Amino acid sequence: MSATATEGVASPTKLQGVSYVGTSLTKSFDGAVVLNDATVTFEPGEIHSIVGENGAGKSTLVKILSGIYQPDSGTLVLGGERLIGLHPHNAQQRGIYLVPQEPSLMESLSVTENLFVGILRRRRFPFLVDWRPMRREASGYLERVGLDIDPEMRADELSVAQQQLVECARALVHRCQVLFFDEPTSPLTAHEADTLFDVMRNLRDSGFTLGFISHRLDEVLAISDRLTVLRDGKIVMRETRDQFARPAVVSAMVGREIVTRVRERGEQDLTANKEMLAVTNLTLEPYFRDISFVLREGEILGLGGLVGSGRTEIAETIYGLRSAERGRVEVEGVALAHRTPRDCVDAGLIYLPEDRGRHGIFAEVEVTRNVTAGVIHRLPRRGPLLRPAAERRMAEEATKTTAVRMPTIDALMKTLSGGNQQRSMLARWLLAEPKVAIFDEPTRGVDIGAKDDIWTLVIKLAHEGLACLLISSELTELTMICDRVLAIYEGSVVGELTGDDITDARLGAMVVGPVAR
Amino acid sequence: MTATGQALSYLDQQMPGETGEKARSRLVAILMRREVQLLVALLLMSGIVDVLRPQFLSSSNISFMLAGSVVIMVVATGQTMVIITRGIDLSVAPMLGIAAIAIGFPAQNHNLNIFVALVLVILIGIALGVGNGLLVTVAGIPPIIATLATLSVYGGLQFVFTSGLTVISLPHDYIAVGLEDIVPGIPWLLLIGVGIVIVAELFLKFTPWGRAIYAVGNNADAAYRAGIPVRRTLFMTYIICGLLSGIGGFVYLCYIGSASSTTGTDTNVNLISIAATLIGGTSLLGGRGRPIGAALGAVFLSVADTAIVVLRILPIWEPAGVGVLILLAVVTDRQSGPATRRALRTRHHAEVAA
Amino acid sequence: MSANPGGTVSAGTPVDLSANRRGRASIDQVWVWVLVVLLGLELLYFSLTSTGFWGGGSGMLSASSEFLDVSVMALGLALVIFAGEIDLSIGAMASLSGIVMAQLWHVEGLNIWLATLITLVMAAGLGALNGFIITKFGIGSLLVTLATQFIFSSVATAVSGESPPYGFPKAFLTITGTGSIGPIPADLIIFAVLALFIGLLVSRTRYGRSLVLVGHNRPAARYSGVNVSRTLIWAFIGSAVFAAIAGIMIAGVYNAVRDDVGIPLLLPSVTIVVLGGVDIFGGKGRISGVIIASIIIGYVSVGLLDGGSTPLTVTMVQGIVLIVGLIIKISLDRRGGVAFRDALARFFARQHLGKATVSSDV
Repeated sequence: MSATATEGVASPTKLQGVSYVGTSLTKSFDGAVVLNDATVTFEPGEIHSIVGENGAGKSTLVKILSGIYQPDSGTLVLGGERLIGLHPHNAQQRGIYLVPQEPSLMESLSVTENLFVGILRRRRFPFLVDWRPMRREASGYLERVGLDIDPEMRADELSVAQQQLVECARALVHRCQVLFFDEPTSPLTAHEADTLFDVMRNLRDSGFTLGFISHRLDEVLAISDRLTVLRDGKIVMRETRDQFARPAVVSAMVGREIVTRVRERGEQDLTANKEMLAVTNLTLEPYFRDISFVLREGEILGLGGLVGSGRTEIAETIYGLRSAERGRVEVEGVALAHRTPRDCVDAGLIYLPEDRGRHGIFAEVEVTRNVTAGVIHRLPRRGPLLRPAAERRMAEEATKTTAVRMPTIDALMKTLSGGNQQRSMLARWLLAEPKVAIFDEPTRGVDIGAKDDIWTLVIKLAHEGLACLLISSELTELTMICDRVLAIYEGSVVGELTGDDITDARLGAMVVGPVAR
Repeated sequence: MTATGQALSYLDQQMPGETGEKARSRLVAILMRREVQLLVALLLMSGIVDVLRPQFLSSSNISFMLAGSVVIMVVATGQTMVIITRGIDLSVAPMLGIAAIAIGFPAQNHNLNIFVALVLVILIGIALGVGNGLLVTVAGIPPIIATLATLSVYGGLQFVFTSGLTVISLPHDYIAVGLEDIVPGIPWLLLIGVGIVIVAELFLKFTPWGRAIYAVGNNADAAYRAGIPVRRTLFMTYIICGLLSGIGGFVYLCYIGSASSTTGTDTNVNLISIAATLIGGTSLLGGRGRPIGAALGAVFLSVADTAIVVLRILPIWEPAGVGVLILLAVVTDRQSGPATRRALRTRHHAEVAA
Repeated sequence: MSANPGGTVSAGTPVDLSANRRGRASIDQVWVWVLVVLLGLELLYFSLTSTGFWGGGSGMLSASSEFLDVSVMALGLALVIFAGEIDLSIGAMASLSGIVMAQLWHVEGLNIWLATLITLVMAAGLGALNGFIITKFGIGSLLVTLATQFIFSSVATAVSGESPPYGFPKAFLTITGTGSIGPIPADLIIFAVLALFIGLLVSRTRYGRSLVLVGHNRPAARYSGVNVSRTLIWAFIGSAVFAAIAGIMIAGVYNAVRDDVGIPLLLPSVTIVVLGGVDIFGGKGRISGVIIASIIIGYVSVGLLDGGSTPLTVTMVQGIVLIVGLIIKISLDRRGGVAFRDALARFFARQHLGKATVSSDV
């Protein structure tokens, strides 16, 4: 694949197309085999998705395919040519582009420069950078991915969705014909995801070779032409579009039948229960306004809405991380003004944040101290000195309750899988003996087995009296376990559903906008 | 900010045929730029002091202040590049000092040709910069620690090389370069300073290596994936900083007329070069900054320095003044870049006590 | 819009499964042993090459008064570095404290112990000021303490006047400077007590636990209920107070104060903390490492000065020790499989304010 400096924008007409084949790829880390003899083929004019649970190996696979990891054995063949020494450094030059989960642009530089980083156009002499042709071409590339922006804008002025599209455009600029998308829709709203899918389909129709990694089965089933299921490092299923069947895919991923659990609602009348959390007219522009609700003992209240509708900001405000402009928050009838997270925890209100990596775990710290991080001021002491052995026992008990699987409790948090890290977070907050719990996307980035466990745990806790506020973008999750759901759209409550009225359809309709008259 | 941002980017290129509206927002954008604000502040300060002490803006004094700024101007240009890559170079002071004594003694004792001297300082600066570059890119030591270490090591070397002696007299042409004006008010030294700043600006704006510095400072990982040689770029940055510190040593020698085992450190070249860089609009978070900003910062500090003397403010308060200036520069810097503000907002709200 | 991805790894950061089970904790421990070996080698070298060095063992002990001021300063600095920040103003703080104490005693006629106490309170206040500016305005500690270093320095010069006081009361000199219990110098006792205090503080108190978590991942600490601002402010108070103690110890040892004694102590202090294994980005490291490193660096200074080297040479050798030590340490870290590029990515990511590298998906 050679890049010609004078060629213009890749035209929308069909490309020649290259296929990319990974054969018998195997990779181990520290003795543990994470990818076992995997063979995948990516053909031009196709969107080929790789699905699997956490720990299944799909992330490793795509990293090998884009050069970030080197396989222990196996070969990579691109367009008939064997690839030796594929590295992140040269992958783009060879025509392979990985669109990362979070766009990784140069914030202070212009979009134009971002597009051409590494292959800046130069004058023949005296080898100086020539900005004019780049500026000219940039608009063309941006149009190709549906971006109508001024290419001279600084990259940090774009939204996440726009930045992601710039990443796609970069792939085009670098003449890459093979594009991998790694969980691209995580930071996007549904609308933005649709735009991305349109671009992907467009590229596919033009003959590009596309790989798509996603947890979100619904998306995968909607957009893929072909899918491959990984489980425990091995390929366990290959299907083409006409054969897709959701249950089959799910059981291939998990290796067992998943019984979708439905909460038995209406068996107790919750309206008589004690009010545990009362939120009144909570407002913080521009994120949300006039949010009011009551959460009772033993109730699971869902906050449904699209990504970006403001629910996390609401939770952060309730929890004291943000200051509201006006409104009141009361826990068990006691108003908490000028709250800090510590005040909330002391009052019995805990918050499990959606971004585990940034706001939850301490990657380089052992599990013990991760688990006790929420109750530092209540740790067992002798005088001013802590008692490590007692602390360890506390942590062990808590991790047992939430079934954390880890090498030892002294293992560093980063060695645990996503599902186990989330279980550790739950353990942390259970140690705080909460009365009200806010769960923000508790099953995001978690494999189906752990998802199930977490739902079971939440239901059990609610049974025991915990008042739960569940924020989720997954309609199924809300439908299955909530007693009541509030639909939030662009910062306001637009609807409420109770009991058996909660269905995917109704909820789905509400979260995309106010009910039309 | 978006409109301003757009306008700011427009400024970097010459766009033909703007409408009146664009021209107006262009004007606003120009006024918002750090370099312009700095220039305005500089002129204001000079004006005010001149009113209080007439003769402040006499041509001989202007020449004096401009000449006095050149050392920092040159060093801060190198410092700017390093800081753009999210690094820092705390060893510029002894690098300057070693260069100064390395040519100072031969000049004093053996009448070293001035052009040879210039070549020598460049070579010495490069060699010292290589030391920093190796520690940061090969050993993988964070720049602040690495340059703190070379600060000690080079400082010691500087002493060892001088054996405690001092350069006290120089041949005529060195002194001429240091003290004479081209025209009244514009010293020869300024030519060197401005020349270096112009070359640096062109380098950063129009060469792939210069753009690589910005790329690496913005997002080293993405730069790496784009095929930019990150290690080599960083290495080069420290070499350039060393090189420019060496030239700074040359300028210092010509201007001050002497050099010793504490040259560089005794005039706080480290701090002042960082101050000039930051005042000039470069952010310690990396990714942006311009040599011309640092140059204006250097001039600003030189004028402020003189102003302090002229206004009879006790010189012991000068370091405090520099400290306050740095804080001011950083606080006002927060007005730029939505990403910085976003990042700071997140950090801020994660840190604010109730 | 708050749309953050779940804990999945971004494209450029590899899964660090290659870290062994006990992972970082054992690297920290190994490093302490490496330092012990280095110390042993160093003492061996000096005892062989410098005849007056041992002076019968007690000579070595008494020589320690010459460097314990820096060691005390490093203990306080370690708090700040554990939190992921830095305090460049400690040198100036030491000088300022010595001078303020001296002036309070001499000019105001206060009892010297009262003067000392007031000085420590002042230092705490200034440290809190540092912490306040850093947390309230969100300005990096590098800049703030760079600036306050200069401000404190100026104040020190101003307060010291033409000829600063000297000739302190004998009791004071004995306790803070030249006295000893048996062969053990008073300064060593002070250092040992302070070292024990800091060691326990960091590893066995609630504050220490919060401090280290703040250093590891500041946003996560905040979300866990830790009062990050307060934790940081106390860390800066700690570094300032310890710097003040160091300044007072210097006054005791040399029976004089000067406005510039402290500045040269900054470099060795940072060297000691970093060499001691405390990660410059926060969180990782042990106080025991800092203690041993302070002895290593201290004897470098004593041994060289006794051998006739000048202070600048000492600084140079300390710089070399730092470089060599770091290279060894970084190669040890690298055995965990982290390549240079990833170290760079972590370095830059770290400065993206709270972005923690995570491994979850495989």
